[in-house]
Amino acid sequence: MFLESKIPLLKDRAHMFHRARLFFSTLGLLEVDTPMLSPSAPIDVHIDIMTTEMHDGRTGFFHSSPEYAMKRLIAAGLTDIYQISHVFRLGEEGKLHNPEFTMVEWYQKGCSFEKIIEDTLNFIRLFLGELPDTQMNYRDLVKKYTDIDYPAASTDDLAGYIKEQSDGYPQDLLSWDKDTLLQYIISFFIEPNLGKNGLFVLKHFPASQGALAKLQMVGDEIVAERFEIYYQGIELANGYHELTDPKEQHKRLEQANSKRISLGKKEMPLDLQLIAALEKGLPDCSGVAVGFDRLMMLRHKKESLSPTVPFTWSEL
Amino acid sequence: MAQYSTGDLKPGFKIEVDGEPYNVVSNEFVKPGKGQPFNRVKVRNLKTTRVIEKTFKSGDKVDVADIEENKMRMLYKESDGVVFMDDKTFDQITIPLALIGDNEQWLMEEILYDIMFYKGEPIDLQPPTFMEMKITETAPGVRGDTSGRALKSAVTETGGKIQVPLFIEEGQKIKIDTRTGEYVSRI
Repeated sequence: MFLESKIPLLKDRAHMFHRARLFFSTLGLLEVDTPMLSPSAPIDVHIDIMTTEMHDGRTGFFHSSPEYAMKRLIAAGLTDIYQISHVFRLGEEGKLHNPEFTMVEWYQKGCSFEKIIEDTLNFIRLFLGELPDTQMNYRDLVKKYTDIDYPAASTDDLAGYIKEQSDGYPQDLLSWDKDTLLQYIISFFIEPNLGKNGLFVLKHFPASQGALAKLQMVGDEIVAERFEIYYQGIELANGYHELTDPKEQHKRLEQANSKRISLGKKEMPLDLQLIAALEKGLPDCSGVAVGFDRLMMLRHKKESLSPTVPFTWSEL
Repeated sequence: MAQYSTGDLKPGFKIEVDGEPYNVVSNEFVKPGKGQPFNRVKVRNLKTTRVIEKTFKSGDKVDVADIEENKMRMLYKESDGVVFMDDKTFDQITIPLALIGDNEQWLMEEILYDIMFYKGEPIDLQPPTFMEMKITETAPGVRGDTSGRALKSAVTETGGKIQVPLFIEEGQKIKIDTRTGEYVSRI
């Protein structure tokens, strides 16, 4: 895309940075800017980290989200904070992905799961206008579209559903675990329909997809207090009522690492300073990360991220 | 067997899935924020030309299809096939008319055609984009009309049925775009 044709949108981008900062100062949050490079890495099974060699012989890992460093600040007493930063994810490129993108992330002490959802909806409305919202549990959503009650379902049930829906399904489907099958079903058969007429909040994820969220009993199931928000089939936000238990945190990071190894991916160095911060005491808080470029894309009714940023990786 | 990672597939790559050869048309990256990344790949079956969608986990491997493309010269037609020769090795092959399909109307002796082989078997034949050939049948020309806007039916020496401007006469040599079957110019 010609750079000249991006200018009006880039002006609005500057304007929206300003409005985002006003939103956070009204909410009583302070802006922080934690380092993008760290000798330890965020550990996610499915997020690959970029690296660089440092002068002292150590490997520097580019953050995929400023979460760990921000949590260390919160544990140290700087509790209500936001950050607008570039984050990096290796191999993520497409209409809705760029390997470097702008993430808005914030945390608030004593903030409930319900309130962080409400705050996030209002932040998104800054960009997209006064849209109504609907909220649904992960379990109810899967049931609504597939008629499958996933906690009771087997991997064969889920694979069977995928086979009924399309011919082009992956051939190794039967060897997948439940989470991968659910992610496939959501990505291809459900997500495109979410948020057609307003903002859609998907909440209470399976505990196995909890990442850094607290667990909670809902009905007869233990679920993660994690939510995502969609508009027009596009994922915009991912948030948690934050996990504060250092032992559980340590366990989940190690689980993510062993899952990475089983998938033939690199093991990541554990951020022991994050664990230490949780041991010292992370106050009860909620946090969320929102994709700024995607918000700009939807605000301007564009089909890809390219018009919203000066240059995507493929345009450089 | 050589393989591609599904994340690296680009339009034009030739892959083999379930024993069928495909040409990649497009590749879309689909990823739930924290979840397994996938690729939604549109592919055209090189034998049937049907376009379908395949999905893969990103990073999974797919086989590179054993595809070879070769230019071969047409020698002569037989009752149910056409014989072509490789100019370098002088190897000859017979390609069944069923495979040639509509392109039969653009077959001329001594012309080089693009032939695609899958595992050594021919699966597709393409004529040159532009070909020169004689008109063997058409209504008498209308003198003076050289605008080229009005058209009439004509048949070429290869049996191709096309539309030509009114001023074209039988015996006239013309240039044709074989992709569309349209008249391009007089020679």
